[in-house]
Amino acid sequence: MISLYMAGNSWAHKLPARVKLIFLFVLSLLIIPFNTLWFSAALLVFVVALYATLGRQGLEKVKVVRPLLWMMGIIFLVHVFLGDIEQGIIAVLRLLAMVLLANFISITTHMEALMDAVEPLFRPLRVFGMSPRRISLAVALVIRFVPVLLAVYASLQEAYKARTAHANSWRLLAPFALHAIKMTDHVAEALTARGGADGFDRDKK
Amino acid sequence: MNDTSKTINFDHVSIERSGLTIISDLSVALPDQRVGIIGRNGSGKSTLVRSLNGLLPVSAGSLLVHGVSAEEGAKKLARVTGFVFQNPDHQLIFPTALEELSFGLRQIGVGKADAKVQSLALLRDHGIEQLGERPVHELSEGQKQLICILAVLIMEPKLLVLDEPFSSLDLRTRVALRRKLEKLDQQILFVSHELDALSDYDKVLWIEDGKLKQFGVPADVLADYQAHELSGVDLHFEGVARA
Repeated sequence: MISLYMAGNSWAHKLPARVKLIFLFVLSLLIIPFNTLWFSAALLVFVVALYATLGRQGLEKVKVVRPLLWMMGIIFLVHVFLGDIEQGIIAVLRLLAMVLLANFISITTHMEALMDAVEPLFRPLRVFGMSPRRISLAVALVIRFVPVLLAVYASLQEAYKARTAHANSWRLLAPFALHAIKMTDHVAEALTARGGADGFDRDKK
Repeated sequence: MNDTSKTINFDHVSIERSGLTIISDLSVALPDQRVGIIGRNGSGKSTLVRSLNGLLPVSAGSLLVHGVSAEEGAKKLARVTGFVFQNPDHQLIFPTALEELSFGLRQIGVGKADAKVQSLALLRDHGIEQLGERPVHELSEGQKQLICILAVLIMEPKLLVLDEPFSSLDLRTRVALRRKLEKLDQQILFVSHELDALSDYDKVLWIEDGKLKQFGVPADVLADYQAHELSGVDLHFEGVARA
């Protein structure tokens, strides 16, 4: 299961979302000049230590990178082919550290707080007639519906397996897409029923 | 005459959906606190109730919902009519229950901090404060549907429409949720296939082929519906029963 928000009251939960995002931003810039093995390794240890401060349940969440490991493997192999094993290790350590750090913010920050923190960044888009509230709502919807879509895919797999004994097939992609599109209709309806993306108060102004 | 501020009034209403007339020339006044809506799949129940909050526009006739006319626009209708859908996974927009409830309040202009306090208070009133911070995808179906209902109620609608909201729930959860609904001050319109759930209601509305078939007290309407629907049921899939 995708690990998203983890209920809790830790120091990390209390930290303002904006502070966390800025921290992530600064660190992701810092790794560019500090292109050394020990820095990357220290960074990863530091990030895992952050998880550890949330307790055993927090440390469990480190597993979120598991599905990415094969990709890390390919990146490492590419570097080996290019004859630079050290750079390969650095690249993998960095990626792991950054993914884990970003995930750390996801699990300790309310969606709403994250939206409010990011919304000002979208303000320039007003020039093109796009409302920042809509974009941040879209971000929230993506995060909310990842587990829902995964469940839809799992139910398709089940139906397919029941009749073919195979768990997976490219044939499931089209019905999955159709389910997803159908679902967007329902979600749009539910959102409209509660005042739509812009809410009720805006109408009065 | 009935007090129009607490009544739903359909006056020769027709409703179209993708170019087809689904509801045609329907007139009925619903001043009762608890109204059930029954009818076959495809009879137009969902279409009818979707006009109440402006999800579908009225194509002919006039509709008045608790003093708000359909002509005043979909948003005005949506403000007086709370709507609970069949599948909670389509209605829950936010990753946690607390955010889901706060969203409704912020939609009607409540500030962020107040919204959180009020949302927590409502969860506490229903004894589910502990669910507030849990990711919604980890909740049971019944818990999800309760959150959906509370997320609508927190916006203080005058009318609550429920479109087969309990169809995937077990008996115990259904009864528990129904008891919660019984206590509400709002007028309730409940679209359902569970006929026994409507027997305590004030009135039942039976829709067939987009028209009002019968409207009256549950004892009469439910009995007539059952008798009508079960006659010739063996021929159902041949299409005869539908004709």
